[in-house]
Amino acid sequence: MSGEDCDGMDRGDNDGPKSDKMFTLKKWNAVAMWSWDVECDTCAICRVQVMDACLRCQGESKKDSYGKQDCVVVWGECNHSFHFCCMSLWVKQNNRCPLCQQEWSIQRMGK
Amino acid sequence: MMSLKPRHVDFQETWANLKETVAGVVGLKAVDRIVWNTRFSDVYALCVAHPEPLADRLYDETRNFLEEHVASLLERVRGSTTLEQSDHNDGLLDRYVSAWREYSQGVAYLNSLYSYLNLQHVKRQKVSDAEIIYGTSATVSCPEQDARQLEVGELGLDIWERVLVRPLSAALTARIVSALHAARDAPPDPRHADIIRQAIQSTVHVRSFRVRSPLALYEQLVLEPFLQAAGEQHARTAAHLLQEGDVAHYMKHVLAGLEREVSLAQRYLPASSREAVRACYERAAVAAHLPALHADVDRLLAEASADDDDAPQRREDLSRMYQLVRPLGPAALRPLVDAALAHAQAHGHALLSSALQHHKDEVHIHFVEAILTLHGKYSKLFNEVFGGAQAFMGALDKACSAVVNSRSGEEACRAPELVARYCDWVLRRRPAAAPLTDVDDKLTAAIVVFKYIDDKDIFQKHYARALARRLIHQLSYSMEQEESMINRLKAACGYEFTNKLHRMFTDVAVSADLNAKFQQYLRDNDLTLNTGFFIQVLQAGAWPLGGPTAPLAPPAALERPAGLFEQFYRSAFSGRRLAWLHHLCTGELRVRYTPRVYHLTASTPQCALLLSLERRDATTLSEARAAAVLPEDSWERHVRPLLDIGLLLPGADPDELLLNLSFSCKRSKLRLCASPGHGAAASPPDPPQHRDDDRKMYLQAAIVRIMKQRKVLRHTELIQEVVQQARGSFAPSVAIIKKCIEALIDKQYLERAPGALDTYSYLA
Repeated sequence: MSGEDCDGMDRGDNDGPKSDKMFTLKKWNAVAMWSWDVECDTCAICRVQVMDACLRCQGESKKDSYGKQDCVVVWGECNHSFHFCCMSLWVKQNNRCPLCQQEWSIQRMGK
Repeated sequence: MMSLKPRHVDFQETWANLKETVAGVVGLKAVDRIVWNTRFSDVYALCVAHPEPLADRLYDETRNFLEEHVASLLERVRGSTTLEQSDHNDGLLDRYVSAWREYSQGVAYLNSLYSYLNLQHVKRQKVSDAEIIYGTSATVSCPEQDARQLEVGELGLDIWERVLVRPLSAALTARIVSALHAARDAPPDPRHADIIRQAIQSTVHVRSFRVRSPLALYEQLVLEPFLQAAGEQHARTAAHLLQEGDVAHYMKHVLAGLEREVSLAQRYLPASSREAVRACYERAAVAAHLPALHADVDRLLAEASADDDDAPQRREDLSRMYQLVRPLGPAALRPLVDAALAHAQAHGHALLSSALQHHKDEVHIHFVEAILTLHGKYSKLFNEVFGGAQAFMGALDKACSAVVNSRSGEEACRAPELVARYCDWVLRRRPAAAPLTDVDDKLTAAIVVFKYIDDKDIFQKHYARALARRLIHQLSYSMEQEESMINRLKAACGYEFTNKLHRMFTDVAVSADLNAKFQQYLRDNDLTLNTGFFIQVLQAGAWPLGGPTAPLAPPAALERPAGLFEQFYRSAFSGRRLAWLHHLCTGELRVRYTPRVYHLTASTPQCALLLSLERRDATTLSEARAAAVLPEDSWERHVRPLLDIGLLLPGADPDELLLNLSFSCKRSKLRLCASPGHGAAASPPDPPQHRDDDRKMYLQAAIVRIMKQRKVLRHTELIQEVVQQARGSFAPSVAIIKKCIEALIDKQYLERAPGALDTYSYLA
């Protein structure tokens, strides 16, 4: 069950001297899941889950096979979130958040 | 050199000289060059004579002369033979051919002698090819027969046909036909063969200058009578052959006969007639006896696909039948194709039902191998026997698809699950002692079977679950193989189908990178963990993982690495939420209080429980569970293995758990998380209801996509396009598509186009 773990060499090599412990934890193989920290799972512009690439990117990544997560999420000051690609097209027409009509300004970008 | 100036010419005198030379030329006698030149000028002089050009008169006289000449040739050719008989060796053909050789050559020379007349006088009257073909008001009625003048060479040929061939036509036909018949059985000596060929060739040549139906004479004189006689002869032979022996015997001889007939046509007839000769033979020998041939197809197929000594023989028979029947077109071939389909299908079902009887741990291997056997056997057979013809390969595909997708009773089709399990079996790491050979071949084989599956979406769900299990628990045989399999699936079904699989695969690579960066981060900040740590960070939405991402309180020993990693992750990325999948995490523990050290691999709750016993020997279930914050049923799943191997003992009180201080076990490495895949496999296969909902969503999305692009579309076209798009995932029924269209109309994505019954239009 050990992968090429990175801390490699038994750094907790406390087998010998202080074996007064009943159990020692050698290694923990953890699994975690990440998702964008958003209030709504779908991008209101393209109606695709924000975890998936937006429609436009899906169409394009048919060409280059391994999709790195290029299609990131962007949050506005209003705390609404969209695909960055979708939003950058949207603001060209209308510089307001499609959900709340507030003036759009970027609060942060997903990375 | 004479003058080119028009002058008065005495026709009688000039013609008399000219006529003598013409006779010499046509009779292929020696003509002096000087004489030839003079006569050439005479023709010119007559054509431009003053005061009246004498070209027409010259033309008429020449015609008269040629008619007389050919009439005399006719006498020579006829000789003393009785025209009514048809012995091709009576000399008539010899004489005809020798006269023809002489005359056709002579006329060709004559044509050059008269080239001024041809060029200046006749050409001007000639109608163009286009006029003959498309007709003009003047020439629309029979242009060949009017009083128009021909070039002299053509005139000569025309006269040959009128004066010599017509009276002899029946006699010539009878002799040519009988000579061809004789040549079919025994090739004549080269001289005779040449005579037959030239006689036939003459009927073509005589009309070769005509634009309209140049082959009419040949067809009338040679081809049609020959075909008629041949047809009768073939029918007799065929009937005789059928009486003589079985179908195999019949086909063998008929095929040889066909070859003989084609080569006969090749040797004696113009290339354009070969198809007709072939067709005539096929009509008489194959088409007429098609039912007899078809009646044997089933038996031949059965015997050809058997494994006994006769099979090669039967395959040859079958191959002959295919060669004979194929030229008759798809309709004649249909019974063969149908029989091949039925046969492959029946065989496939037999293979399948015996494969499915195997133990459930092996049934996936037997299933794939059965389909592969079926496919391999019949594609080999059809390639050998039917030359891999499209129709038969199509039948094989149909048969395989029917077998793969067959289901017993109400039960769902098992193919998607079984093929996915087969892939899992191939791609899994296995003990070094029992390596799997030909992994590549096996994956290719899996793809062969996969392509026949209708419910590819179900396959994908099974495959994704197994892939998740392999990736998370690092059970893959090799990552290159995993990637190549995903690429093969992509090649077969497209990007959308493998998108999530790709993302899962990428997550693993990204995670390896992430671990390296995390360790670097620790070093840079002088931080240490109190334990080994390896993490996989998966992206939500791509992995088919059920189970709680619940906030299980990690044991104290794990809090530090978890906390440090979260800190690192937040600094490396932004806008991301991280959730621990504790049911998939494992810890490696050492048991030290026993005489022997045991290595345990345990789930996080198990680790938590054991580590909580560090300072005491007993705890209560409820206390431990409360510490772990887990629901009862999953808690039970985690505690059970500990009790099973005897590391924990139930206390007197049912709530009490005791640590087994005298624990011992034969093996020193113990895996506690019941089965490695337990966590990932926890989400059961989707119930059919769930699956149908997914499909409806898929179809609705497809319909909207299509309509958005096309704006207005007829019902049948829409259905076709949807089926086309869905084919990569599953085979939708028309009824379901209709329901989806209705639903979209209700949701006002579409409307029925006003004024048209079966047309939809898109509502933006």
